[in-house]
Amino acid sequence: MVTVSTANTDNGEQNAQPDRTLIQIDDFNAWYGDFQALHGLSLQIPRYKVTAFIGPSGCGKSTLLKWINRMNDIIPGAHAKGELKICGEAETPPGRDTNILDPALDVVRLRRKIGIVFQKPNPFPKSIYDNVAFGPRLHMKTTKAELDELVEWSLRKAAVWEEVKDRLHGPALGLSGGQQQRLCIARAIAVGPEVLLMDEPCSALDPASTLAIEDLIFELRSQYTIVIVTHNMQQASRCSDKTAFFFEGRLIESGDTERIFTKPEQKQTDDYVRGKFG
Amino acid sequence: MSTLPKALSEQDADFQQSNASRRQRMSVWFYGLCVAIALISVVVLVVLLVSIWVQGQSRLTADLLMNSHSELDIERSGMWPAIIGSLFVCGVCALVALPLGVGTAVFLEEFKPKAKPLRWLHGFVQLNIANLAGVPSIVYGLLGLTVFVYMFNIFGQIKVNESSGWELMGANHKYQVLSLETGNVVFVPQTDPDQRQITIDQPVQGMDAAGDPIEIEVWQPGTPKPTDPAVRRRTVRSGAIGATVTEKSWYYFRLPLDKSFLAGGLTLALVILPIIIIASQESLRGVSPSLREASMGLGATTWQTVRDVSLPAALPGIMTGSILAMGRAIGEAAPILVVLGAAVAKNAGPQNLMDNAVTMPVLIYNWAGRQQDEFKELAAAAIIVLLVILLLLNSAAIIIRHKVQQSQS
Repeated sequence: MVTVSTANTDNGEQNAQPDRTLIQIDDFNAWYGDFQALHGLSLQIPRYKVTAFIGPSGCGKSTLLKWINRMNDIIPGAHAKGELKICGEAETPPGRDTNILDPALDVVRLRRKIGIVFQKPNPFPKSIYDNVAFGPRLHMKTTKAELDELVEWSLRKAAVWEEVKDRLHGPALGLSGGQQQRLCIARAIAVGPEVLLMDEPCSALDPASTLAIEDLIFELRSQYTIVIVTHNMQQASRCSDKTAFFFEGRLIESGDTERIFTKPEQKQTDDYVRGKFG
Repeated sequence: MSTLPKALSEQDADFQQSNASRRQRMSVWFYGLCVAIALISVVVLVVLLVSIWVQGQSRLTADLLMNSHSELDIERSGMWPAIIGSLFVCGVCALVALPLGVGTAVFLEEFKPKAKPLRWLHGFVQLNIANLAGVPSIVYGLLGLTVFVYMFNIFGQIKVNESSGWELMGANHKYQVLSLETGNVVFVPQTDPDQRQITIDQPVQGMDAAGDPIEIEVWQPGTPKPTDPAVRRRTVRSGAIGATVTEKSWYYFRLPLDKSFLAGGLTLALVILPIIIIASQESLRGVSPSLREASMGLGATTWQTVRDVSLPAALPGIMTGSILAMGRAIGEAAPILVVLGAAVAKNAGPQNLMDNAVTMPVLIYNWAGRQQDEFKELAAAAIIVLLVILLLLNSAAIIIRHKVQQSQS
């Protein structure tokens, strides 16, 4: 379908430098068993930008998101064809392209690089500290002091430090929903990912918590490439730079968020963003 | 504008009224029925406990706890060896069944194999577990008899004074020979394990009963017998025959297991394995998939996810299932009767790994079937002791489970 032109940043965006594609998707098809969930879609996800996937339920946006860090591996019968790769030249230092669909790829390292935050806050039934330290303990060898520092840094980044600093060793499940979700974001960034995937991160939260998470997303995009799936049109327009509209397993249109919401090229996109269906 | 269907528009008010009150009555009746049924089970339990208490309380003495079974002195018969035996058998059972059961449950729930033979195995195991849970325990007893007690006779049959199977460790064989001093024996070390007896016709190096080395001398009949008791003690008649005796260390181990408490414990492990697997599976299935996703999403491997997330979250449920299973194991008589036999004449707990054991249910079975009233009372008292021990073990496990739960939330 329509692919975004990577140099198209003339809509008053604050970062003047041209987009550098981090994740390249080309003619991508995905199946659950015999059911084809995604049909030949092509999309570039730029580095250090927030890309929003919008579309009605069942349109395949979450499927694509979960393919980006191979979370679909754990679903029996899920398989995909096409091109899905992390572009090497966008990395520091420049490296080779990484084919995400390569069956021999080390998904453990991929998932460390591409973190994910889920729809429902899902902290482990452990202490707040242990939640954030979970990932680092898997991947790194740290001293106690280094780990303490990393936990504090992550919680600060996720804008939840002030609320939890006095009860780091209290149960994570004792936090409010919004705090739990920010804790999950802290947990995800504690392993030092380059990309954060967010699967409707605010749909289970109240408006105030939603706002806090949106501010956080805006904050985080200076250091992370963020892909967010959302049902909330205002959310997409508020906090994303790029938007991709999915419908029935196909990518209908993608481009700068402002353009998608003001001057969509496709009628379906227009109908959807105006709230005529979905 | 559409009209309402007939059933909705023409309603019989009287019928509505009577129908409503009839349904209310039914509900009250049903409630009463449920309470009555619940009461029946409580009443049965109370009757059971009271009758056992009345029968057995006079025998709840220190003798019961500290003595062993005696045919002659029934008054002072006790169940100490059975208590120890039960704990040993159930200990083996727990050590084997818990890791195997939880491991199987983890394989069935947490690993969804992609390779075809493994997928086939996965389905096959899953299908079998449910069926195994319904197999009567005496059938497991027969299985244990073949697999653990005899081991298909692969390692030979164990026969007194003929064969001890494959002895792997802890066995020290020697020949026991009568000396000239009445009631005194000397020992000669055994070098060839296949030679079950020797004939002594010349002096050899040996040991006395305390294990100190001595020079064994030979007395030829027809010559004068030594008179010094010290010499008589280390002198044997020429042509005296020495039979094999085996000194067993606590770690004495041989194959097949024969009628040992190890074989009993392993058989009980088979009995409760399906229960533990099913309980652990249910418990693992109850762990929110979102926790697993979170762990995988952070780059944890399946093993790390199981160890750090799934198992800790499922532990309380797994422990509940295990408590129930161990309760069944400690009260199980049928498979133990088949594997260890019905003998209760044993005055201590197991002395080595291959030693036989008496368990509480077997002792109760034996006592309850006797003619003498004393034994019937003893059986009732032993049941009380069994219940108390069961209760103690269960409360210990429940306390541990509670601690685990608290440390998690």
